[in-house]
Amino acid sequence: MVIFKAVSKHYNGHIAVKNLNLNVKEGEFVTLIGPSGCGKTTTLKMVNRLVEPTEGDILINGRNIRDTDPVALRRQIGYVIQQIGLFPHMTVEENITVVPTLLEWPATKRRARGHELLDMAGMDPVIYANRYPSELSGGQQQRIGVLRALAADPPLILMDEPFGALDPISREVLQDELKSLQKRLHKTIIFVTHDMDEALKLADRVVVMREGEVIQEATPEELLRKPADDFVASFVGKSRRNDSKLLIVEQVMQPNPVTVLPSVGLAQCLTLMKRKRVDTVLVVDEEGVLIGGVSIETLDREHQRAYRIGEIADHNLVTVLNSTPAKDAFDLMVGDQLKYLPVVDEHRHLRGLVTRTSMVNAMASVVWGDEND
Amino acid sequence: MYNIWILTVQHLGLTLAGVGLAILIGVPIGYLITGNRWVAQLVMGFTDMMQTIPALALLALLMLWMGLGDTPLVVALLMYSLLPIVRNSYVGIMGIDGALIEAAKGMGMTRWQLLRMVQLPIALPVIMSGVRVATVTAIGIAAIGVLIGAGGLGAPIWRGMQQMNTAMILSGAVPAALLAVASDAGLSKLEQAITPRGFRNIASQNT
Ligand SMILES: Nc1ncnc2c1ncn2[C@@H]1O[C@H](COP(=O)(O)OP(=O)(O)OP(=O)(O)O)[C@@H](O)[C@H]1O
Ligand SMILES: [Mg+2]
Repeated sequence: MVIFKAVSKHYNGHIAVKNLNLNVKEGEFVTLIGPSGCGKTTTLKMVNRLVEPTEGDILINGRNIRDTDPVALRRQIGYVIQQIGLFPHMTVEENITVVPTLLEWPATKRRARGHELLDMAGMDPVIYANRYPSELSGGQQQRIGVLRALAADPPLILMDEPFGALDPISREVLQDELKSLQKRLHKTIIFVTHDMDEALKLADRVVVMREGEVIQEATPEELLRKPADDFVASFVGKSRRNDSKLLIVEQVMQPNPVTVLPSVGLAQCLTLMKRKRVDTVLVVDEEGVLIGGVSIETLDREHQRAYRIGEIADHNLVTVLNSTPAKDAFDLMVGDQLKYLPVVDEHRHLRGLVTRTSMVNAMASVVWGDEND
Repeated sequence: MYNIWILTVQHLGLTLAGVGLAILIGVPIGYLITGNRWVAQLVMGFTDMMQTIPALALLALLMLWMGLGDTPLVVALLMYSLLPIVRNSYVGIMGIDGALIEAAKGMGMTRWQLLRMVQLPIALPVIMSGVRVATVTAIGIAAIGVLIGAGGLGAPIWRGMQQMNTAMILSGAVPAALLAVASDAGLSKLEQAITPRGFRNIASQNT
């Protein structure tokens, strides 16, 4: 859909982009990533002719954009600028529908579109349509910036660090929204970021740039497995260290599982479970050695017969050593359909607990990087 | 005896004519010079210089050229009003965040649409405050228009001074002063009214 052919951009002697060749396919989500000043914004702006290449050609749907009127071209391409850039004197609705206004859509159609988009972003039009940008939170402003780019339903959208100034949580939410939106509406997106986690999470293909040149162009998976050089490796490094093959159980387990002594009474144990919101407790002796486990089902079944936890604990728990590779532990859980897997050291001291949730978290950190790293 | 009502209306009319022409000429100039820093300096230097010519001297020169009457006064008012209006138009438009301009262009606005939909509305409060300064100044200068045969509240003031007639002086000076105060208040209300709600919030957030 967008083809860069040997594109370069010089600013009086300084080379901002150097011999860029790139083919962005229809419906593809491509992220451009690299350190500050490596030419990401310049690359993006050449697509909508805010910047003219010094050399080379850019084709959109086979047509050289030099032959397209810049104004007409830009109205067909969604653009989210690095600094959000909402118009302070226009309401949210007016901001979203700028391009439809330029395209002279009738007022009723414009309004309907504005409201539809607000709904889509989970912002009630009744509340937000007539607000001004200064009356929105940073996250809401960035949402409006994205909606504005979608308004005229352009097949191609350019996004320059659209979630740049956000806290990690809103960022995460908007990334998820954007990804599902792109899948649903089948948009082609070129997305600039300098956050590798973001690039890996969103992209079908990641283009790593440095000093105006493309260093590597690969799917997130390939990038993690085979970084082209040390530069790329250091860039993806943080995410790579969490590769599940390299992790051991100790790193993924939950370190403080709920435990009881065997002498504890059933009712007392039940209260504890209720308070901690768990459906299983591990039974350990005074030295911290694992004796067994009790699930809520067992408790329910046996509460007439027994008084102490020690009497009903299951002593045949499957356990793993803390140095076991995480992957083997996960395989064991999946293979034996275990709900949980206690982790012990050589002396059978309880160290932690692997649950399905820890499994999910560990795998997520491999794909998206670990925030706590 | 003078009919003060008629003179007041005349005075206001002359002021509005001068300031109105200055808006028609000054705002486009202020916009056009945003394209070139060097030209901007030159133009503003020129309007600056015009402001330094003493009012009486400028009126006399214009009278020599255009003769007696209202016309040279209106031209003088125009020349004095140009500076605050050109300057504020320039400053108002140049002060707009470059990101907004880029966003506007990136979405496919033509130059004209950019001016009409983004630059003018955002710069308008600044331009209006230039208009307010120009208007108040012009009301003062119009009072000496009587010396070159123009109408307005200058006549009773001047005649009163010649005849040492305090009542006559006041009959011109008081309405002229009231006119200046009222226009200042009225225009500053208007300035607030045309400031978009979105800005007022920004302003209050920044303080
Ligand atoms: N208008 C310009 N005139 C001169 N040099 C420019 C201009 N725009 C960009 N450059 C230079 O080109 C290089 C690439 O800039 P660009 O804005 O594309 O970087 P970027 O990768 O988007 O950086 P960031 O992550 O900081 O946004 C930089 O060295 C920058 O200084
Ligand atoms: Mg940039």
